[in-house]
Amino acid sequence: MRSNRMGWALLAPTLAILAVVGFLPFLYVLYVGLFDWNPFSNQLGMQWAAVNNYRRLVFDGAFLDSLWRTGLFAFVSVSIELSLGFLLAQTLVKNFPGRTVFRTLYVLPLVMAPIAVGATWRLLTIPGFGPIPYFLDKWFGIDYRLGTFADQAFLTVVLMDVWHWTPFVTLTLLAGLTAMPKEPLEQAQVDGANRWQVFRYLTIPMMMPVLLTVIFIRLMDALRVVDEVFMLTSGGPGTATQFIGIHIYRVVVPKTDYGYGSAMSLLVLYFTIVLCWLLFIALAQVGKQRE
Amino acid sequence: MFKHKLTVMLGILVLFSMVLSGCAAAVPAAQPAAPAAEGEASWWKTASQSASCEGVTIRGISESTPPSNFARETLAPAFQAETGITVELETTSWDEMYNKAINDMQAGTGIYDFVYIEQDIIYQYLANNYLVNLTQLLADNPNLASPDFDFAKFTSFIDNFKDADGNIYGVPMEAFVKIYLYRLDLFNDPAIQEAFAAEYGYDLAPATTHQQYQDNATFFTQYGTDNGLELWGTTVQGNTGHASSFYEFFESIAPTFGVYNWGINSENWKATVENGGGMNSDAAKEALAFWVGLLQYAPPEATQSTWDEVAASFAAGRAAQGWVYGENAAWIATDPDRSKVVGNVGVALPPVSEGVMEAAADGSGYIGYYDGGSFGLPVSSKNQQCTLLWLEYIGQESVQADWAVAGSRIVMESTYDDPKVQEVDAKTDNYYTLMKDEGPLFRGAPPFPFHSALREVVQPFIWKALSGELTAADALDQAAAAADAELVNLGYGQ
Repeated sequence: MRSNRMGWALLAPTLAILAVVGFLPFLYVLYVGLFDWNPFSNQLGMQWAAVNNYRRLVFDGAFLDSLWRTGLFAFVSVSIELSLGFLLAQTLVKNFPGRTVFRTLYVLPLVMAPIAVGATWRLLTIPGFGPIPYFLDKWFGIDYRLGTFADQAFLTVVLMDVWHWTPFVTLTLLAGLTAMPKEPLEQAQVDGANRWQVFRYLTIPMMMPVLLTVIFIRLMDALRVVDEVFMLTSGGPGTATQFIGIHIYRVVVPKTDYGYGSAMSLLVLYFTIVLCWLLFIALAQVGKQRE
Repeated sequence: MFKHKLTVMLGILVLFSMVLSGCAAAVPAAQPAAPAAEGEASWWKTASQSASCEGVTIRGISESTPPSNFARETLAPAFQAETGITVELETTSWDEMYNKAINDMQAGTGIYDFVYIEQDIIYQYLANNYLVNLTQLLADNPNLASPDFDFAKFTSFIDNFKDADGNIYGVPMEAFVKIYLYRLDLFNDPAIQEAFAAEYGYDLAPATTHQQYQDNATFFTQYGTDNGLELWGTTVQGNTGHASSFYEFFESIAPTFGVYNWGINSENWKATVENGGGMNSDAAKEALAFWVGLLQYAPPEATQSTWDEVAASFAAGRAAQGWVYGENAAWIATDPDRSKVVGNVGVALPPVSEGVMEAAADGSGYIGYYDGGSFGLPVSSKNQQCTLLWLEYIGQESVQADWAVAGSRIVMESTYDDPKVQEVDAKTDNYYTLMKDEGPLFRGAPPFPFHSALREVVQPFIWKALSGELTAADALDQAAAAADAELVNLGYGQ
């Protein structure tokens, strides 16, 4: 009984902070989402709208487009990061000359703030000044202009994300690979299994909890990407890289449509929670199978 | 061993900091505008003491532009020396400035004691009662009314910051026109003139019509290619993800085709032609097609260029002509540290369609954007009296000339006649004279209380036209329909 009280007492500061910075704002957003509230509309103040803002979302092409675009971005970038990260982790598990130097240089993007990453890539890609358009034109004759070509902009945003986050994936998977028991792998080799079979039937299943954890973390990050993309393309050209975070920002901040933006934020939060829950179920399932 | 390493590293760090400090740009020395005689307390000191402002810090926010930087680096320290009031002026990007200022005023937190009010946003702020009535505040505090400050000394630009009763809500700190800049060295080169005349059958000159502008652009782009130069025919403020492109089109290009007030009918708040608006009129579509067509004659960075990059491109000598915000005219024409075209900058009125110049002259139209802003006092400020002193300080006649030279901005009639301004005027192909004489042909943004909300709805269509995703006609048809819907949503044009 006493230890229970002590436990709650120790938890109390954390719970209080969570309530203030998490739960109360959530309730406020939930409340605002039920109103039409744009301080620059003809009707000043908040007007009761019930669930009308949520109804609008279903018919809002720009919102649905940005949602789809975000899903595509998350899928493509996380897939590339996982593949590349796994490959590099397997390489880094082995000993080779200069491994320590390579590891140090390789993780440098990780320590950069997303806004700095966006600014760096912006400098790299401005036509007439940046090296990327210059060399693409000189070596391959490619007319590279992020502000003009939507596909180039989307691809560059994916590449920037891969450049920024693949080191994280690599390091996490490297930790998993290093901690993996060696006996089953050696036993399989003795039994005549080739490298692909060892990878497919032993390494992947044994690494599954780590892989799912990495997917979980990276997917959440990719779904709420804003700052580095905003710095690089501002969501353009047109709306080619306007992911859901940038879309909500535009609705809430420059457009000052607080009610509708709140409803939009809550719906996106709901989708994210559902996705997390699905991944959690998958993670738990793998744990059970291993037991 | 560790201690030794630590000492070495700290030493390197200190040395590095010293080098960086040495490399930092020198801040101009603060010079009080009207120093008091020795032994005599200045009016500013007395006023500051009477309002208990000594030692107080007031905070403001503005866009990082030459005029704002002058206020922060020169006027603020001088004001502090006179009054003991510290001014912290945050100069940031245009977007951030609005986001922070509006959020602060909407929430009433009082972080900022003064905010930049661009001419086009004032109507939104007044509609929401964000700002203090400065006329009333001065009347209520006669002991704080400086003898060197008088609203009547400002140009008519101050009218933009008045309410219907003539009360003033902002002290003008910058005003300029978006002007047509061209390269004097190129346009006056006899060989180039000869080649142009041979190709087009008329003399090379700053454009007065859109066709002439396009011919110039085509010619100089080809000239750059033929001579291996990084030179293009025109600038285009065509960022495909930033509001700057919306503004260039609706405030600078469309008016030269006779499309005013963004194509919104202010009588019924409609944008589509079928509802009485003009956003998707034939003239507007012709204007957008013309402007988007200029991209092929613009430097490749054009679709990533806001107003800052346009000025930088022109200063780097990468364009032969272009629409450039006047706040940049002086430094482009006179600052060799930042500009490669010093001494070679010509200024002129922009090209217009038939009848537009006459409409501008009789007041029924305009040929471009008269931009500018003021510093205003939010109702949420907790230091209103101290901030009032600051606003009066920057509104003295004595500080205007240096400010005009540094930022190509003029807000008082008397500034035009100052010898310092006239000296720079001669170096900028008479930019200030043009602004004084032809300023009435330009006009600020329309008085829309829904300014930014509507801009956010319309601008994606302009971006899509610039990136080629939509034709000019389709973009404006869709933009006008979206504008009509949004205006209804905002409670206008039911």
